[in-house]
Amino acid sequence: MVISDAAREKIRAEMAKYPKPEGALLAALHLVQKQTGHISGETAQEIADLFGIHPIRVMEVVTFYNMFYDEPQGRHHVHVCTNLPCSLRGARELLRGLEAHLGIEAGETTKDGRVTLAHEECLGACGYAPMLRVDETYHENLDLAAAKRILDELE
Amino acid sequence: MAKLTIDGVEYEVKDGRTILQALDDLGLLMNGVDVPHYCWHPKLTIDGSCRLCQVEVEGFPKLQIGCNTPVKDGMVVHTKSERVKHAREGVMEFLLLNHPLDCPICDQAGECKLQDYAFEYGVKHARTEEPRRALKKNVDLGPTIKFDQERCILCRRCVRFCREVPKTGELAVFNRGDHSVIETVPGMQLDNPYSMNVADICPVGALTTKDFRFKIRVWFLEEAPGICTGCSNGCNVYLGVANNKVYRYVPRRNDSVNDTWICDVGRMTYEEIGAPDRLKLPAVRSDSGVLEAVPFAKAIDAAAARLRSLVERKGAGVLAAVASAHASNEDLLVLARFLDAYGIRHSGVTVRRGDSDDLLVKAEKAANAEGARTLGFEEAGPLAKQIAGGGIDGLIVLGHDLLDPAYLGGERTLAKLDTVIVLDTHVSALERVAHVILPVRHAAEKDATYVNHAGRVQRSWPVVEPSFEAYADGEVISRLGAALGLPGFDGKFDVREVSRSLGAAAAAFRGIDLESVGEQGIPLAGKG
Repeated sequence: MVISDAAREKIRAEMAKYPKPEGALLAALHLVQKQTGHISGETAQEIADLFGIHPIRVMEVVTFYNMFYDEPQGRHHVHVCTNLPCSLRGARELLRGLEAHLGIEAGETTKDGRVTLAHEECLGACGYAPMLRVDETYHENLDLAAAKRILDELE
Repeated sequence: MAKLTIDGVEYEVKDGRTILQALDDLGLLMNGVDVPHYCWHPKLTIDGSCRLCQVEVEGFPKLQIGCNTPVKDGMVVHTKSERVKHAREGVMEFLLLNHPLDCPICDQAGECKLQDYAFEYGVKHARTEEPRRALKKNVDLGPTIKFDQERCILCRRCVRFCREVPKTGELAVFNRGDHSVIETVPGMQLDNPYSMNVADICPVGALTTKDFRFKIRVWFLEEAPGICTGCSNGCNVYLGVANNKVYRYVPRRNDSVNDTWICDVGRMTYEEIGAPDRLKLPAVRSDSGVLEAVPFAKAIDAAAARLRSLVERKGAGVLAAVASAHASNEDLLVLARFLDAYGIRHSGVTVRRGDSDDLLVKAEKAANAEGARTLGFEEAGPLAKQIAGGGIDGLIVLGHDLLDPAYLGGERTLAKLDTVIVLDTHVSALERVAHVILPVRHAAEKDATYVNHAGRVQRSWPVVEPSFEAYADGEVISRLGAALGLPGFDGKFDVREVSRSLGAAAAAFRGIDLESVGEQGIPLAGKG
């Protein structure tokens, strides 16, 4: 079993909050992914069993949202915003530079499992472009040198 | 009830319906009032994803989707305004953004809603020069269906069908926005007893059945109404006919019988019509024990001669007749008259039984078991025992369900009979013991009525002609009666006349005949 008993208890408590238990699916996915790092087929099956739905419904939701992952991820998520204002301020060059620095392409994870690099449509920090997000932390008004430094400090 | 005005005409519609549902209830949708649509389907839940059914509703600042806008009393709807036309053009342009221009090699061409609506409501030129989405082609979704991901317009009808009708849920939409694709989960196949319906409801060429694809262009097909005879549900179908050949069954909507669906097994029974094992030649067993092909009239005379000789020796009490439940009401009524006129007391109906489900598939694997019972034919189980026990010397058999394990379990017990006369559509082991063989017509080759499991009388039409000499069972028996000189038999068989006298034979048929049954069928008296 991938999902712990404690997590199962929490998911059941979430389900009780909604008129249709399925409403708690997002909450459940967040909870589980926090423990497991990604939602594998096996995990999706366990969640589906908890909700009494088909696992394909779980995978639909997982693939719909950017912040759920159906593959193993690195220890840190680095998301570079590439929407219009950031792009006008050099975000695409920044992303290219970071790809070269890490030796991977956006969407991939470094071999040592340290960093998963990705681009994001909009992170809502247009006034501080270009910017990136490391896990839960925003880093703003970047240039390539500053961004590289931030990445190098990650464990 | 609510008053609904559409394009200046006022209608009374049921409460709680959406605009499209109300139009569908009135029988007007795409049949008087054109509101083009892709994702909405009368038998599936509402999705609201294709946006094509937008209409103008007075009092609403923006256009509303007809499929998901509930009708309010006094609502005034416009479906032909400039705004509506403009919106449709916009939606069509979006739907066509990524659709490949491969109509010439697409098997859906000719019955493609994207093609039809693009012609009818679309703009004539694409304004984009960006490359179209390159996705998976020719994907094997399962044993019955091929999938072309590029042609898919993501209406989700197939996804909803799998979840809501067979409740197997094999398909889903993955990813989001312009990355959305329909797929199965890895390792899972689209494999359920109703899987081929997804090809019918797919408005484009994304889902096609492996059986029908590339067999023939659909514009060569005449879609003739008929019924599936695979089980006692009697699902309504269109038979796709060209070159005197049936190429496919597709379900025909009948809300009292099969909604808009048909099971995969039933759908494939079209193959029986032109099957290589059709019984094609009338034959008579010679004195040396060999079956010899003879002209039809000679075979009838031979049958009459054998029966006459047997009756002279032992009387009509040793004769029996067993009809399979594939025989139509008209065939069975003529058989009943024959039995009366000849004084044959032993008779019964055979029905092969098999799997059933709670959707469409019924256990009785023949079209007319209920009709046979209504006309007074008894289950032939006891009679089969009597035949096996040696109490019968002469047998007239319609169809070969008598060989089913539930009855004789083979032809061997019939080998000792003095006379076995077989009327059948397909080759079976009965031919090994038959003395006279008379080929008869399939339901798709004759006018006939059948009663389904729920007591609904439905009919078939002759949509193909057999390439060999064959007649309806009723006609063959009429001719046999005439050859025997039976009272009331002149060798003529007018199926309409026989059909009109069903009511006199069984009260439940009163007022019901070939003409009155129509395309949707009518319930037997007391079964409404």
